Amino acid sequence: MNTLDFPQLASVEEIERGFESFGYICSPKIATAVYLAFQLRKPILVEGPPGVGKTELAKTAATLLQLPLIRLQCYEGLDEAKALYEWKYGKQLLYTQLLKEKLGDLLQGATGLAESVERLHEFGDIFYSEDFLEPRPLLKAMQEEKGAILLIDEVDKSDYEFESLLLEILSDYQISIPEIGTIKARIAPMVFLTSNNTRDISDALKRRCLHLYIPFPSVELEERIVRSRVPEIDEQLRHQLVEFVHSLRELDLKKSPAISETIDWARSLLLLHARELDEELLHSTLNVLLKFEDDIETTEAEMRTLLKPRSRA
Amino acid sequence: MQANLVNFIQVLRTHDVRVSPAETLDAMDVARTLGYGSRTRLRDGLAMALAKTPAEEQVFSRCFDRYFSQSLADFSLPPAADEVADETASEAGETNVGEPSDGSADDSPGELEAAAEQSPALAELLQSQLMQNLLNNDRNALSVAMTTAGDRVGLQQIQMFTQKGQYTRKILDELGEQHIRQAVIDLESANNPALAELQRYRDILREQVRDYVEREYLLHAEGSNRQFMEDILSKTRLNNIERHYLDRVHELIRKMSRKLAARYARKLKSNKRGQLNMARTLRRGVAHDGVLFNTYWRKTRRHKPQILAVCDVSGSVAAYAKFLLMFLYSLQDVLPKVRSFAFSSHLGEVSELFQEHPLEKAIELVNWKYGGATDYGGSLEDFARLALDDINSNTTVIILGDARNNGGDPKLDIMQTIYQRSKQVIWLNPESRRAWGTGDSDMPRYQSACHFTAECNNLKQLERIIDQLLKSTR
Repeated sequence: MNTLDFPQLASVEEIERGFESFGYICSPKIATAVYLAFQLRKPILVEGPPGVGKTELAKTAATLLQLPLIRLQCYEGLDEAKALYEWKYGKQLLYTQLLKEKLGDLLQGATGLAESVERLHEFGDIFYSEDFLEPRPLLKAMQEEKGAILLIDEVDKSDYEFESLLLEILSDYQISIPEIGTIKARIAPMVFLTSNNTRDISDALKRRCLHLYIPFPSVELEERIVRSRVPEIDEQLRHQLVEFVHSLRELDLKKSPAISETIDWARSLLLLHARELDEELLHSTLNVLLKFEDDIETTEAEMRTLLKPRSRA
Repeated sequence: MQANLVNFIQVLRTHDVRVSPAETLDAMDVARTLGYGSRTRLRDGLAMALAKTPAEEQVFSRCFDRYFSQSLADFSLPPAADEVADETASEAGETNVGEPSDGSADDSPGELEAAAEQSPALAELLQSQLMQNLLNNDRNALSVAMTTAGDRVGLQQIQMFTQKGQYTRKILDELGEQHIRQAVIDLESANNPALAELQRYRDILREQVRDYVEREYLLHAEGSNRQFMEDILSKTRLNNIERHYLDRVHELIRKMSRKLAARYARKLKSNKRGQLNMARTLRRGVAHDGVLFNTYWRKTRRHKPQILAVCDVSGSVAAYAKFLLMFLYSLQDVLPKVRSFAFSSHLGEVSELFQEHPLEKAIELVNWKYGGATDYGGSLEDFARLALDDINSNTTVIILGDARNNGGDPKLDIMQTIYQRSKQVIWLNPESRRAWGTGDSDMPRYQSACHFTAECNNLKQLERIIDQLLKSTR
């Protein structure tokens, strides 16, 4: 990728602006990461609690650059056949069956086994050519004409072996296929890896990436995010609800509400034509924010203290 | 700047952030791409290239602030009015040091100048670069001088806090402080009124150098000191470790278990891709007229190891018991299926105690519940009753104890049964190998019913043993 092709990525400020125009409010740190990834042609490993917009970052980058987004969702047991490439076994088989008769023509006049084999050799390895190759996400990203955004989602869910598989792709943007050789990317894709930190990613993988940690946003940033996503909501209510979510994150909860949940909540409050947060409203809408019964109980017990400073403000 | 960046990375390394040469190159690229215009941007960028976990990022930003924000040393004189006057004086025209440019200012240079006429040492001193800079409060020049002096005496090699004084002295000498000292002595003997003034300058200089050394010490030595401490701790016999180091030891054990857990995390069933399960593929091909439409690949299945750990908490191993329990506790964290037992006169399962309580509380409870005089025979009977049925060819039994049975019946037959049924029996004894079999120790007899016995009384040994254990349970 060339800087000239993408004026959207010319500077850190430009990136911030560009992302904002597509409704993704990013901190300067995130913008710096995207800028560096683009300039140095390095993948970004994005870590952070669930729901802070890790996947959204890659999606927005794809919209901003008008490139196809190729997504690989990782899970336990994911292997190269599903991530890299696979031989079209059925097609290979079908073709051999169909070509059976042709084989007779080809071998006509050959005397002895040695000569027959010789003739077959002339045929070449047609059954192991790119025509019979089924590209999976990683290979597809390498083959895109104009480059692509490759999103390897939740890399921590995959196995250790799979990580080593990624190393060649991430450092050299190429894939080695034993039967064919090395396939190099036409244009190096921009790679985002996301991780929820369920386990440690190996050092080798980390070394090849820029590491970006996205924490929960500050109150101001989150308000901006809610404003850009749910612009209809009343300013006062917005402030109130963001403050409330922030105080929830300080509680000892199984799962703290994330940005996506704040946005959902803002939307549901909008639907209910709420003007102000009160206890009754919270009771009925808390299940949008919190996904565990235990958490809801904890919060309801603390409700009064949580709401108090807010009503004063 | 490049050299500076490399130095900074060196500092990061002493603070436990692992930075590879490749990442160093990345950091250079980052710095070049981002430029040195914006401080926070550079910091964010470097953090992305160098710090790869949230914890490392914290260390990184602390080091970054310390390393790059070394503000200019402040040599101004304590009274504020004085400082302002000094500065305006130095800006107005500093060629004539003796001439007070501002009437209202405390004309301290004048006083010194007057004194200089009586003392040749002071006169010489006033001409020196150091004193000129001090008088003019040229913070830039002084900071630079201090840094170069620090480089020349090798301040970056500072290791221990006891070296701080020595380095301070060396830097002061390098800066030429002895001239000031000489002048002070001169003035003292002459009882000159300018003495106090000069002493103030000297004190400021000393204080600044001390601060500088302190900062460098924090940067360069703190990290390596901690590594040094951990190294020592892991080699000390467990019962000799002082109480107030217990926290650190606990941290070490946890670190160790994390390391082991990472290595241990792997899936239980894996496809051996590339190896065709020919029999199955052919069998399934029959339905398609012998055409092998569906392929089947070989699989390997790994079994979950099951671990039963038994720990002696009696008086004879009291000093070790805490560590053995600590070890058991972290073992239960690391490995998925661990059942823990504790005994002295009788035996009981403590897995739940470990799961429900934090470490300290759990250990206390176990000691309270099972402490007492040792009876290996009786405890083995209890163990057999509780767990013998669960022992199969996947089970590893770990016994932590000194095998000192107070002359009671060792019940070797139970050990034999365990030995035959289990995958392996490991006995870790805190006593040194030479003491095995002396006095009431039944170790040699129990040893005959163990696959593996080891002496285990410091963390290094413990780590090695766990490592071996994990390898063999693969």
